[in-house]
Amino acid sequence: MADLTPTSPLGGYDQPTGGLRVGELTGLALVSLAIPLDGEAKAAKAVKSAFRLDLPAPGMSTASNTYRLIRTAPDQLLLAFDDDSPDPAPQIAKALKTTAYTTDQTGAWVTLELSGASVRPALERLCPLDLHPAAFRVDAAHRTVMEHLGVLIVRTGDNSFWLMSASSSAMSFLHAMECTIRYFS
Amino acid sequence: MTQPNRLSGGLIDRTRLLVFRFNGQVMQGYQGDTLASALLANGRRLVGRSFKYHRPRGIFSAGPEEPNALIQLRKGPETEPNTRDTVTELFDGLEAASQNHRGPLDWDLLAVNDWLAPFLSAGFYYKTFMWPRAFWERLYEPVIRASAGLGRLSGEPDPDIYDHGFLHCDILVIGAGPAGLSAALAAGRTGARVILADEDFRLGGRLNSETYEVGGLPGPDWAQAAEAELATLENVRLLPRTTVYGVFDHGTYGALERKTDHLARADGKPRQILWRIHAKRAILCAGATERSIAFADNDRPGVMLAGAVRAYANRFGVAPGRRVAIFTNNADGLRTADDLKAQGVEIAGVFDTRDDAIVTGTQGRKGLKSITLKSGRRVRADCLAVSGGWSPNLHLTCHLRGRPVWRDDIAAFVPGPDLPGGMTVAGAANGALALHAALTQGRTAANAAAKDLGFTPSRKQAPKASDEPIEIKPFWHVKGTRRAWVDLQNDVTTKDVHQSHQEGFRSVEHLKRYTTLGMATDQGKTANVLGLAILAEASGKTIAETGTTIFRPPYTPAPIGAFAGRARGKDFRPTRLTPSHKWAAENGASFAETGAWLRAEWYTRGGEKGWRDSVDREALAVRGAVGICDVSTLGKIDIQGRDAADFLDRVYANPFLKLPVGRVRYGLMLREDGFVYDDGTTARLSPTHYVMTTTTANAVLVFRELEFARQCLWPDLDVHLISVTDAWAQYAVAGPKSRDLLSGAVDDLDLSNDAFPFMACASCTVFGGTPARLFRISFSGELAYEIAVPSRYGDAMIRALMQAGAKFGATPYGVEALSVLRIEKGHAAGGELTGQTTARQLGLGGMVSGKKDAIGTVLSRRPEMTQDGDLRLMGFRPVDRAATLNAGAHFLTPGDPADLNHDQGWMTSVAWSPTFGHSIGLGILKNGAARIGETVRAYDPIRGKDTPVEVVSPHFHDPEGAIQRG
Repeated sequence: MADLTPTSPLGGYDQPTGGLRVGELTGLALVSLAIPLDGEAKAAKAVKSAFRLDLPAPGMSTASNTYRLIRTAPDQLLLAFDDDSPDPAPQIAKALKTTAYTTDQTGAWVTLELSGASVRPALERLCPLDLHPAAFRVDAAHRTVMEHLGVLIVRTGDNSFWLMSASSSAMSFLHAMECTIRYFS
Repeated sequence: MTQPNRLSGGLIDRTRLLVFRFNGQVMQGYQGDTLASALLANGRRLVGRSFKYHRPRGIFSAGPEEPNALIQLRKGPETEPNTRDTVTELFDGLEAASQNHRGPLDWDLLAVNDWLAPFLSAGFYYKTFMWPRAFWERLYEPVIRASAGLGRLSGEPDPDIYDHGFLHCDILVIGAGPAGLSAALAAGRTGARVILADEDFRLGGRLNSETYEVGGLPGPDWAQAAEAELATLENVRLLPRTTVYGVFDHGTYGALERKTDHLARADGKPRQILWRIHAKRAILCAGATERSIAFADNDRPGVMLAGAVRAYANRFGVAPGRRVAIFTNNADGLRTADDLKAQGVEIAGVFDTRDDAIVTGTQGRKGLKSITLKSGRRVRADCLAVSGGWSPNLHLTCHLRGRPVWRDDIAAFVPGPDLPGGMTVAGAANGALALHAALTQGRTAANAAAKDLGFTPSRKQAPKASDEPIEIKPFWHVKGTRRAWVDLQNDVTTKDVHQSHQEGFRSVEHLKRYTTLGMATDQGKTANVLGLAILAEASGKTIAETGTTIFRPPYTPAPIGAFAGRARGKDFRPTRLTPSHKWAAENGASFAETGAWLRAEWYTRGGEKGWRDSVDREALAVRGAVGICDVSTLGKIDIQGRDAADFLDRVYANPFLKLPVGRVRYGLMLREDGFVYDDGTTARLSPTHYVMTTTTANAVLVFRELEFARQCLWPDLDVHLISVTDAWAQYAVAGPKSRDLLSGAVDDLDLSNDAFPFMACASCTVFGGTPARLFRISFSGELAYEIAVPSRYGDAMIRALMQAGAKFGATPYGVEALSVLRIEKGHAAGGELTGQTTARQLGLGGMVSGKKDAIGTVLSRRPEMTQDGDLRLMGFRPVDRAATLNAGAHFLTPGDPADLNHDQGWMTSVAWSPTFGHSIGLGILKNGAARIGETVRAYDPIRGKDTPVEVVSPHFHDPEGAIQRG
C-alpha cells in the first residue's frame, strides 16, 4: 500500500454553469499503446479479445462502457479507463500479451469533461475544429491547439466532449476554459 | 435638447430616447440612430477638422467609408480615437469628442495651416524637413508627431476584453443587403450551413436607406422578413455587427464582431470577437460605395454623398439640411430629390453634369451656405448632395492578389477573374447596381455554390423588384484654380494629384505614397477611383491602364486588441508548472521563467539579504549534505521497440548499441551539419525499453527531430516514441548524504555502490509501493541520484523526501544553485550548447564515435569544424579573486588590441562559487587546452570591464570524478 497520495492537476475541478458543465476527470487511467511494426492485425485481435473494442480509424475512438480507445497516430492509441491504481500500465500490457508497447500516460494529461446544451457555442471560442455533428461525430477524436496549448478533443456524446491537455499547463488550460465560460454567453 | 432636423418616419424607435454628449454638449437621439444621424438630427454640421489644413469638416457619408466624421469615442482608458460617427451605434450615455483641433472645434488655432496651404502641397514634408539634420529627431519629429495622428490614445492599458473564435460553414455570405439576403435565403433553403455577416446592426444594406419595393413590400420590411425566415433556419447563422475584414488562404476569412460596442457597459463580456471563419464557399455581397466629384471647396460641412443624404432621410428620419441641392453625373442623384421632397425637405436644385449643369464652388466657412454654378449663379443651400457614381466594394476579392477590371458602362472597377478560391461575387459588389439584378445574382451565386457542394438548389425565384438601368456619364472633376478635394481624410486635392504626376510619380502606387491618397482609416473608399481617374487624365491614359492600388486587409479598421485576444500580460502564453510547484511556493521559492516553465530559482530563508545568500546556502548544502531539486522540466521520451537500440545508436553521436539493461549513458546529439544541439542521458529499462532525457529548452525540438528520424529516415525500424515529460515528476537528490536519504525512501533496492553504481538505473517503488524509477546520475558532480514517480505523486513525493531527509539536512535547491554546481563541475549547458559549438570545442570530441555513422557524424569531420584554432571549453578564474566575471566577455591576450582580429574566444557561463569563494567562469578559448595557467583578459566593452583571468581546467570541482562515483 503506497503512502503517497496522488493529486490531480486541477484538484477535481467541477463547475456547472448554466447549460455547460466543466469537470475534471480524476480517476481516469491513460495508457498509451504503440503497435509494433507490421503488428496491427495481432494488436487488433488482442485488443478485441481483451477490451471488446475494435481499433479506431484515424481521427476516431471506439468505446465500451469500460474503455475508450483513441487513435492518436498511425501506430499509436490511447486507452482510457476508470482506474486509480498507481501503475495501470502493466495490467494492460499483460492483457495485450505483448502485442503492443504500453506507456503509462495517466499523469501526463489533464482531462476536462464538457457537457450540456451550450457546449458547442462555448467551444467556438476555444476550439479551431469544426464540431458540427456532420463534421465531428460522436467518438471523433482529434488533436488540435487551444489558446496555444495542445489538446486532444474527443466527442463522447451529442453534447459532451473530453478535452485532454498537458498536465503541467493544466492551470493555463483551466484559465482558458474559465475565460471561455465567462465570455461565450 | 430638441432635434430640429428630425423628420418623420425612419427605422428608429422613437419610444426609446437616448441622451448623449458631443464635446460636452448634451443631445438626444433615438434607438436605431448612429452617432452621425443623431448629430445631424440635432443640427450639428461641423464635427471635426481635416488632417492637414484643419479645415472645418462635417459628416460626408452614412457608412464605413466615412473620411471626415472621426471622433474620440468614450473617455478614460476606454477611449477610442478615429472612430467613425457613421457606424457608431448610438447608446444612452455615449460621450464623444471631436479631434484634430487646438482649442475649441469652432476656433481651431491650427486652422492657420489652411492659409499656409501653398507651402503644404503633396510631399511637402519630404522636401521641407531635410535640413538641418540635427533637427530631425529633436524638432521635426516631435512637432510632426504632435500634429499628426488625428485622435489620441489614452496611454493606459486597454481595459476592454477581446476574444477569438472559430466558425465553419459551407457558404459564407458577406453582406446582408439585397444580394446578400437573397443569397443567404437561397443557400439556407438548400440545407447548406450558411453564415451571413454584415457590418451594420440592421440587416438590409441599401434597402434600409432607399425607398425601393421588393416582392411587393417596402425594402426594409422585405429585409426584416428575410431575416426572420433566416432566423428560423437552424443551418443559418446571422452575424450582424460583424465585418469580414480579410480573406486569407484556404477559405479562411477574418471577421470582427462588435459584441458590446453598442452598449454603455460591457459588464465583463468581450467588447469584440475576432472570428476565424472557415468557409467552403463565399459569396461577396458587399455592395458599393458612392464617390464624389471634385470641385472647388467641395469639403465644407454640408457637402455630402447623395446616397448618404437619402440614408439619413429614409432610414434615420433626419434632414441633413433644410434646403438641399443635388450635384450628380448619374440618374441616382435624382432619386435623392424625390426622397427628400417626399419628406418635405426643400430642394434648391438638381444639377446634372450630363446637362452641363455644373457646380464650380461653394461658400460657407463652417458649413455650407451656398453653391456657385458654372453660369456664375449662386444658389442658396445648406446641404449639397453629390453623386459621382458608385464603386463596387470589391476589396476582399483582391486580398489574395486579385486585380479588378474596369467597366465603362458603369464607370467603375469590378472584381477581376482571379478571385480567391471558392469566392463568387454578387450584386452591387459585382457591378450589378440595379436592385433586381442584385437579388437575382445573389440567388444564382448561392444556388451554384450549394450545388457545387452537393446540395439541391431551391427553385424559389428571387423576389420581384425594379431593375432600372444604370445611367452614368463619367465626370470626375471641375477644372478651376481653387482647391478641389479628392481625398477628404488626407486633404489630397486635384492639384496634389497633378503635382505628383508632374514630379514623376506616375504609378498609382507612387501617387498613393507621395500624396497619402487612400491611406488612413477610410483607405480611400470614397477617393481612390476619383484620384486615379484624375491621374489617368493627367497622364493621358485610360483608367483601366492606370489600374488601382492593392487592397489589403483589414477592410475597415480593426483594433490591435482584437488581434491579441486573450493573449495579454501573464496570459500572453501558457505557463507550465512543475509537480512540486505548490510545495515550492509554500516554502519560499522564487520562480524563474524557463521557456513556458516556472521553475524555483531559489528558496529564501529567514535572515537572507538577497538571492546570493540563498543560492550560496543551497549550493553548499548540496556539497556538504544533500539537496533536492525538481528536474521534471527535463524532456523525457519513452522509447520502445525491437530496434530501439539501433535507433539510439543512429541519433546519438556516441555508441548506444551495447548499453546494458539497468544502465544509463550520457549522450550527445549532433545536428545534420555536425554541430552539437543537445545532450542528455538515456536509461535502458528493458531490452526494448529506454527512457531518454533531453535539456529543458530542447525537449520539443529533440522529440520532433526523433519523430522525423523515425517516420522519415528509418521507417523500417520498429521504434515508438512518446513524450513522458509530464507523466513523471523527477527530483535530483544530490550530495554526500543522498544515498542515506534515498535508502529511507526507496523500497527493497540495494543502493550500495556495488549494487547500484554510478550510471545505474532501476524501476522500483518508494515509500511503501508507489512506482518509481531511480537513476544514479549527477549534474552537480556529487554522489547523486534522480528519482522519478508518476507526476500525480509528485507533490506527495517532495513532501515525503523533505521529511525523510530532514535528519540529513536535506535542502531544496533551485535552478540558480543547480547552475552554480554544474559550472563548478564543468558541465556544458545552455551557455555552451548554442548550436554554434562543436563536440571538440566542448571537450567532448572523443564521444563522436569513429566506428559508426550517426546523424551529424560525417559533417562534424569537415575541415572547417576541426581547423578552428583549437577552440576549447576551459575554466577561468579572476586573477584578483575579488573580481566578478560576466558571460559574454571576449578573451584577449594581454597587450593585444581589442578587435576582432585578436579575439581569442568568449566567456559562456559564470557564477560566484561558494565552494571556492570566488567567481568562476566557463568559456571557449583558442588553443585552450595548451594554455592552462596562462592569464588572458576577459574584455567586456558593454559593461566597461577588462578583467585578467587565469585559464584553468573547466572541471573546478572533483576533476577526476571520484566523488560522483563514490
